[in-house]
Amino acid sequence: MKKLTTKLMLSLLMAIFTLNVSAQEFGDHSSATLTTKAWKALESGESDLALKYVDKCIELYMAQAIKMQASLSDLADRESASTYWALNDVGTCLFIKGQVLVKKEDTKAAVSTFKQLTTKLKFAQCWDQNGWFWQPAEAAKQKIVELSYEEE
Amino acid sequence: MRTVNISLTIYLSCIIWLAANQEHQVKFAKNTEGYWRVFINGQETPIRGAGGVQTPGMLETFSKVGGNFTRTWGIGSLEEPVAGGKRYIDRAHELGVSVMAGLWIAHERHGFDYNSKEQIKRQREHVRNSIRKWKHHPGIAIWGLGNEMEGPQSKSGNPAMWRELEVLAKIIRSEDPNRPIMTVIAGSSQSKIQNIQRYCPSIDALGINSYGAAGGAGSSVIQAGWKKPFAITEFGIKGFWEAPKTSWGAPIEPNSSEKAKSYFATHKMVTQINTGKEQCLGTFAFLWGWKQEKTSTWFGMYLVDTKEKLPQVDGLVKAWTGIFPENRSPIIKKVEASFFGKRVQAKQRLTASVVAIDKDDDELSYDWLIVEESKAHSVGGDKEYAPPAHPELTIKNGKSCKVIAPRKSGAYRLFLTIRDGQGNAATANIPFYVN
Repeated sequence: MKKLTTKLMLSLLMAIFTLNVSAQEFGDHSSATLTTKAWKALESGESDLALKYVDKCIELYMAQAIKMQASLSDLADRESASTYWALNDVGTCLFIKGQVLVKKEDTKAAVSTFKQLTTKLKFAQCWDQNGWFWQPAEAAKQKIVELSYEEE
Repeated sequence: MRTVNISLTIYLSCIIWLAANQEHQVKFAKNTEGYWRVFINGQETPIRGAGGVQTPGMLETFSKVGGNFTRTWGIGSLEEPVAGGKRYIDRAHELGVSVMAGLWIAHERHGFDYNSKEQIKRQREHVRNSIRKWKHHPGIAIWGLGNEMEGPQSKSGNPAMWRELEVLAKIIRSEDPNRPIMTVIAGSSQSKIQNIQRYCPSIDALGINSYGAAGGAGSSVIQAGWKKPFAITEFGIKGFWEAPKTSWGAPIEPNSSEKAKSYFATHKMVTQINTGKEQCLGTFAFLWGWKQEKTSTWFGMYLVDTKEKLPQVDGLVKAWTGIFPENRSPIIKKVEASFFGKRVQAKQRLTASVVAIDKDDDELSYDWLIVEESKAHSVGGDKEYAPPAHPELTIKNGKSCKVIAPRKSGAYRLFLTIRDGQGNAATANIPFYVN
């Protein structure tokens, strides 16, 4: 009984600790913060951490992103693109998620994630520090074809 | 009897003349499915092309695996000697490879002044004389008027240059009405395309040099209102100017297996999948050969000196034909190095490793080499010199390697070359910085 109580206490402590760490890691929980952190984690090879950020961003902002997508009939122009923040960030996160899954060699899940991006959030745009917007859905389309490379 | 002979001679001359001119009938037209295509003597020819293909032996490998079109940047390349000492254009024709003959049009960034009557006159004479010299050669299918003459970094190009381009196109048409004219620009900026529509009605097709965005070029072309056909006249992986960078600004180069997928996907996207595919005549990959540009491997599809085939060729061949070449290049699954994109200390011992496979079960060999980062800041493919390499710093070669970081502070790359001993290779590189 004493052993069980100790185990329970330890599990509880671990859970509290994990929650605290998560809360700190997610920063202000904004879509921009989560997306930036996900990119950095992807670039530094921390795949699981990247997944944590993208999943949180998708969980919190997907509904808003879908609404923004529905309000558009074409890509937003350069001047107004950033007002569609949820669409852009969730779209980018889906692209990052696909990339992570490719790294993990989970091709099926990667294709499914990329397809979700191309069908649900095709007008998402992501700012490139070189000075232009690129479209995660277009990049995802290319990735889907790349993933078919080894197929006979 | 003499009259009969003269008649026979005239008759035969006419037959020969007609046959010769028959060779030269090239046009862009829609096929039965509504796709724009090059028709050479009535033969539908979707462009499965590449640039370069210049080094002796390259035309042979190119045609063997299904390539049917090459392009040159300047007219002088047509005469360069290739295998067997033959002229490039003659050998290409012999192998059934058509050529888009490039007519180099001067760039303002190289000092050309489109307001100088003297310079303009010289350029017009050069174009006219080039067409007169070459228009009877059956190996030439398209005239490629200029390459990125508007400036790779320009948004719309100088109107004086566009107006002059139209004059040059008219000169070509007057000298050779039997071949179409394509001009080549950097990227698919709408303002550039709109300027060509506005100033250059004699241009028959648009050539787009595009790397990261090549797959989506058709969409840009349509958005710009371009109704004629287009081709992707240079493509490959993301250019070093658009690739992710290290904290010291070194562009991160994908390994050759990642590149293969990118070549494969881009050709398929632009010709078979994406918006605008019906207007696409085909693609020219860059570069069937090798070139020092930022790194020695960024654009090349073969290894310098040894001419070993890289996986990019496999990717392109799969996109063209649906099947891989006979013996594939090694495939890099993973490269691991804790110092990838990081700063290290001078003389620090570094280790890296690779996981690679060979589909043909060929035995693989591994070479690791530290090379200084290129200090060239050229644009538009201007000539660069290869930076110094430091073979003395590799202390163990193999699937995993040990190297010593250079003494001198600065940016470097650790290059990996994998060979299968059958003429095929794979490459990767790891950027790092010595403090």
